[in-house]
Formats: sequence, C-alpha cells, structure tokens
Amino acid sequence: MAFRVLRRAATLAIPVALVIWSPANAKTLRVNINADPSQIDPLTYSELNSYQVLEQVYEGFTSITPDGRALPALAVSWAPLSSGYGFRFNLREGVKFHSGRLFSAKDVKYTFEQLLKPGGQGGLSAQFLGNVIGAADLKAGRATDLAGVKIVDEHTIEVSFTKPDVLFPIYEFFFMDSGIVAELGADWMTKSDAGTGPFTFKQWKRGVEVDLAANPGYWGGAPKVDGVQFLIIPTGDTALSQYDAGELDLVNLPENSFRRALSNPAYQSQTIKVPKAQVRYMGMNQNLYAPFKDKRVREAISLSLDRDAMIKGLYNGAAFPLNGQTVPGIPGYNPDIPALKYDPERAKALLAEAGFAGGKGMPPVEIQCTEPFRDEITYYANQLGKVLGMQVIPKVVERATFIKSMNAGEVAFFPWSWTADYPDAMTFLGEMWLSKSPFNRPRWSNAAFDKLIDQASTEPDDAKRFALYRQAEKILMDDWATAPLPATSNIALRKPNVKNVTVTPFGYSVFQDALIQ
Amino acid sequence: MTMFLVRRLLGLVPVLAVAIVLTFAALQSLPGDPVAVMLSDHSADVELAARLRAEYGLDQPMWRQFLTYVTHVVEGDFGLSFRFVHTPVIEVLADGLKVSPLLALAALAIAFPLGAFAGSYAAIHRNRWPDTAVILFLVAGISIPNFALATFLVYVLSIKLGVLPVAGWGSFDRAVLPVLILAIPCAAYLARLARALMLEVLQQDYVRTARAKGMSERVVVWRHAFRNILVPLLTQTGVIFGGLLSTTFVVETIFNIPGLGRLAIQSIFARDYPVAMAIILLFTLFYALINLTVDLLCAAIDPRLRAEGAGRP
Repeated sequence: MAFRVLRRAATLAIPVALVIWSPANAKTLRVNINADPSQIDPLTYSELNSYQVLEQVYEGFTSITPDGRALPALAVSWAPLSSGYGFRFNLREGVKFHSGRLFSAKDVKYTFEQLLKPGGQGGLSAQFLGNVIGAADLKAGRATDLAGVKIVDEHTIEVSFTKPDVLFPIYEFFFMDSGIVAELGADWMTKSDAGTGPFTFKQWKRGVEVDLAANPGYWGGAPKVDGVQFLIIPTGDTALSQYDAGELDLVNLPENSFRRALSNPAYQSQTIKVPKAQVRYMGMNQNLYAPFKDKRVREAISLSLDRDAMIKGLYNGAAFPLNGQTVPGIPGYNPDIPALKYDPERAKALLAEAGFAGGKGMPPVEIQCTEPFRDEITYYANQLGKVLGMQVIPKVVERATFIKSMNAGEVAFFPWSWTADYPDAMTFLGEMWLSKSPFNRPRWSNAAFDKLIDQASTEPDDAKRFALYRQAEKILMDDWATAPLPATSNIALRKPNVKNVTVTPFGYSVFQDALIQ
Repeated sequence: MTMFLVRRLLGLVPVLAVAIVLTFAALQSLPGDPVAVMLSDHSADVELAARLRAEYGLDQPMWRQFLTYVTHVVEGDFGLSFRFVHTPVIEVLADGLKVSPLLALAALAIAFPLGAFAGSYAAIHRNRWPDTAVILFLVAGISIPNFALATFLVYVLSIKLGVLPVAGWGSFDRAVLPVLILAIPCAAYLARLARALMLEVLQQDYVRTARAKGMSERVVVWRHAFRNILVPLLTQTGVIFGGLLSTTFVVETIFNIPGLGRLAIQSIFARDYPVAMAIILLFTLFYALINLTVDLLCAAIDPRLRAEGAGRP
C-alpha cells in the first residue's frame, strides 16, 4: 500500500508528463515590455512602456519612420500662418476612430484642451502646448476654451503661438475621440480606446500582458497580423529565455542582457542594432567645483577618456563614439565633427597649464551616478586618477534622489544622458544646453549658444535650421561644455520568420506592416 | 473557546498598528521621491511635479499624511497607486490576491502528502536504500537554493526540451514549475520531520502492543503510527505556509508571475508606497491569521491549551 500511496503522491507532484503545451496563435506578434504601462491613456502617459503601446493605437499630425523621419499621418499637409506665429493643418479625410466616429478638427482641439485643463491629466504631451495662445489661461482655469486653436472647417485647423515653434508639427500628440467619455464614461480607457491607429486595445492583464487587435478599417491598410501581444517581462534574462523557447517573436533587450545576446553567435543573423535616440555626456558643474571653471581642465578630462576601451569593456561593443551632442538617426545630427581623441600626454600638459600639474591643488571631487553605472563611474575615477592625478571618488546614488539633485543643479560631476522627445536635434541642444532649460543639469551657460538656438526655433527650413544647430554645437564643443560619452544602442532580436518589424532609436516601430511567415 | 478567539482577534489590533507605523516609517525613510520616479528624467518639469504632488497629497506634512492614511485604512480605503495612474490600490492588488495564496496552497497540497509519506517510508526502511534515497532528496531539497533549482529546471525543461513554458502565468502548464520550486523544499522539510517523528513513534509502547497483538506491519505503521505523526506535522504546516508566502516573492520574480510578491518588489522600487504598504499589511495579517488558525487547531486537540489561553491575564 505504501508504494501505491507514494505513487499517487508522485503523480500529483510531477504533473509534467501530463502537460499539453499549446503554442499561442501564430499570427499574433509577441513582443516584450519591461513593466506594466502606468495607464493606457493618450493624455496621462509619461513613460516609455505606455508610449510603446499607445503608438500602435493612436496617431498625431505626423508619425516617425524607423529611420527617424516624420511623415504626415493625421495631417496631410501644413503651412505657416500668414497672420502671425502658428500653423494651419489640413487633416486627413475619411479617417475613422475605432469607435466608428469620423476623425475631424474638433477632436484635435478636444485633445489639446484635455491635455491642458486644470485638474486634468495632461502628461508629457502637455509640454508641447506651452506656446499656444491661451494655454496659460486654460491651465489656470481662467478660460474653458483654448483660444489659440481655431476650427476652420471639419478638416482644417489653425494653431497660433505666442512665439515661433517651428517643430510643432512633429511633436508627438495622440489625438483622441472627443465622443468617448460620453459613450463609455470617465474610465473608458479600461474598456476600449479612442484612437485611429492600426491596432485597437483588447485587454490589459496587469502584470501579465497588454493585448491589441488589428484594426481592419485602418486608413493606411489593415495590418497583416491578427494582433500584438505585449508580454510584461521585467528581466532581460527571462525575456531572452522566452525568446529562445519560441514564446516571443521580437525581444527588445535591456542593457544588462547585451553581453549574453551579443556573445552568442546563434543570434547574429537575428540581431537588430540601432543607435538609441539618446545623447550621453559628462556633466561638469562649474558653480560647484572651481577647477571646472577652466576650459583646459574640462578638455583634459575629455582627453583622458579612452572611449574605445570603454565601448569594449563597459558596453560590450553595443555603443559607438559620440563626438558632439546629437546622435545619428535624429535629424540635425552632424556627422562631420572631428573625432574626440584619447591623448593622456596632452591632457597632462593642459592640466599643468591650468595650474594643476599632476592634479596638485585640485580638491577631491565625487563623481555620482545610479547603480547601473557603478562600473562606469569607477572607470572614470580610476582613469582620471591615473592620467591626471585627480582625486575622484565614485558614489552611487538612488535614482530618484539623483535626478532630483541633478535637476536642482546640485551635482558637480556626473555622467548622464538625455532621451529625445521628438525627432529633431532641438530636443538635445535646446533642452539640455540652453541656459534657461530646467534640464540643463550641469548649468553651463553661453549667450552666443542661446541666441543661435532661439534663432533655430524660429527657422522652419530644415537645412537652415540644421546649419544653426551646427554653429551652436561647435560653440558647445569648442568650450568643452562637456565630454561627450559613447552613445548606446537599442538592441533587439527578431525571429527569422518575422518581417517588417524593427526597433527604432525610440523603441519599437509601429507594427502596421508586421508579417509572420 | 469563544473568549479565546475574541482575545486572540483583539490581539491582532496592536500587531497591525505596529505594522502600519513601522512600514510607513520604513517606506518614508527610503531615499527617493515618488514624484521624481513617476516623471523620471522629466522631473525638472516643476509645474507637472507640483500638480502630481498635490494630487497625491504628498505636499502635506508627514504627520498629516500619516493620519490621513490611517483614517482611510480603517475605513478600508488604501488610496490610489502612485505607479498606476488613477487606479485604486485595491484594484492593483486584486489580481495578485488571487495568485499568491493559490500558489502557496498548491505547493502545500503537493508538499504535505509527499513529505509525510516519503518521511514515513524512509523511517520504516531505516538504513536501507529507500531511506538513503529519501535522505538524499531532502538534503538536496533543503540545501539547493530555489533560484538555482529554478534556473536549472527552466534550462532543461523549457529551453532544451521545450516541454514547459519559461515563465508567465495564466495556464496550467505555466504553473507547474513555480509550484514545484515552492513545493520541493517544503516537502523535503516535512519529510525530515516526518522521518524523525515516525522513528520516535515506532519506539512507543502502543506500537509494540499492536505488533504483539499480531497485527500486520502495514496496519501498525499506517493506521496507528502514521496517524500520530500527523498532528505535529499539521502544527508545523502553519509555520511552513507562512514561509511559503515569503518564498513566493522569489519564485514570482523568477517566473514573472503577477502575484503579490513580485508586485511588492516592483512597488518598492517604483516608490509606489500605497501598494507596498497594503501588501505588507496583508502579509502581516496572513501570518497572524495562520498562527491563530494553528493555535485554534492545537486548542481543539489539546484542552489544556484552551484553559491556559482563557486564563491568560
């Protein structure tokens, strides 16, 4: 009897043999995201995971191609207003929301007003409306209507600004169905969606997955897959294992999985590698550490960094040298900036010229960053000690605390980055290095640079604007405002039977043409 | 008995009160600001940050935040999650509540019979090969860390053989590996206990009497001895169940299961204080209730405990 009982217990404990494994529907594209979206709401979104889901469901005036260009989407064309600053948009006709209602100018105005109204939910997109006439009044509750937006007819809308904002058409807005709240109530986003995009919201199982279904009536043509499944997988190792086991068609890897993915020759033909839409830099705050006031010290620090060794040793080859403060893949990038050199001898000489020969007379300084950059700041501390004789102490700080003190201009020496908000180099030069920008964390300030950037923000012609960026970037680099650091890549693996999907500098591409063979 | 129960339930109140104060203090003293986490790189956007701070009451002084929190908790309202926009904590927890206790119970349902039988079986075959095999299993089960075992099993069963999914939740096959990983150390622990208990029981006079009466060995062992080890084993199971709930933190993270354990870890990293607080309070309550249940079971079996409990000042 003992045997029989034991056997029964064993069959209970090891049901492995009984398992029938059923693969998911082969026509659904399965991809990973590393956390739940904070909400699948086109108004409140403020982080990458929400964005990656929303961009499949919602559209704005323009959409971004995988190589970083903006294409007309819900606007077919636009022209500057003759009466002042602003644009007149001609909207696409015959576009239907997923609810079946027609998309028209009133939905654009509705979206803008919802982003701004007090007690509203405006997330990141709200910042793009700062220059629209009447935005401040609406925000403060002094108006209920956005004065600067005029509906000319069903498919024409005019947006007027208080000052020029030539990039307005490429800002990422997600236009929403103005009738959705009346139809489904305030929590509509838990039941449905209010977009026009190639996919519709199906369900969100918190902590497990977000499912989208194809929109057969999409104006750009029905998608060729049945839907998209975003599996929520917090760690890169698990995502890679699921990819190996055939549970994912496309896997976007976090940086700590790069080594495992790049060192495996089996993945070579499946690897997609594109530069991230992210600029990296060394912050040197001149107000907080006196030696940084001397340009020669800043140049010496840049010359002391062996960027090739960093790319190999710190980034497993998944990075590329950055010589300025714009990245390839983002319009306005300047590929002609001379390459930064590793020249310890010249670095020593410059430091001596500045009166700090061998690091003498330089007080010790902390170099701060977050936990994932522990190795990197240790490298800087060692390298600057070895080459320049500087006494640099690496210090790891909790992320939110670190960002808060950087924003307050309270960190003297730090490597950090800035990720593009829209596909134009202004997102880097304007937001990171303009004196008045709250994101100018090293607090570098240069009047000539500011003037060029202000001028560029009023220049609608791309070629002319890019020329202004080049001049401004040259000022920035000639002054050694920073030591640019190697820029990292987005790395993804794609199964050989999956076509027309990729990762872009911003993350996943829109999957409207995805094909699973 | 009723008095005993009432006393013990009242005893939960100070335990939970201490848990609230400690977790509130611990979470507040963590470095990092929830609004900065919400906005990440864009937290220099002063306007947006101020709006969010006011919306979540984070602009209030600490003591007022605490008072508001306690008042709301007493009313059964755990507030809004910081991580999931405009979502009540209860809603965030709802899915996890269905997962973690289920995982722990499933593991226990496998571990208890397996451990009890394997241990007893080893004891009656003492110093022969079945005993050695069971001892080998229990040493391995107790000493191999669950994350190592999990990685090994995933590599062999999922990646090499492809018979089970790597991770995830929502179907029977996805539950197999996590439940096994939870059950194995438990079963090993229970087997060790059962073996020791059985060895002791088999030396007892009543067993000798039963044998002397000419009963078959099978009846002696399984009807007389085995029943007597079940009581102490059940007592231990209460403690083990509490341990299982904690192990779900690790197992849920490894297998990417949307339970309370993984949610707690993510909430702490995301500075989602309301969700983290609620989970910690829930686990405190679970532990307290499990201990209470075990005490009640013991009291039901042993009247002396009941009297002692009732007479406690």
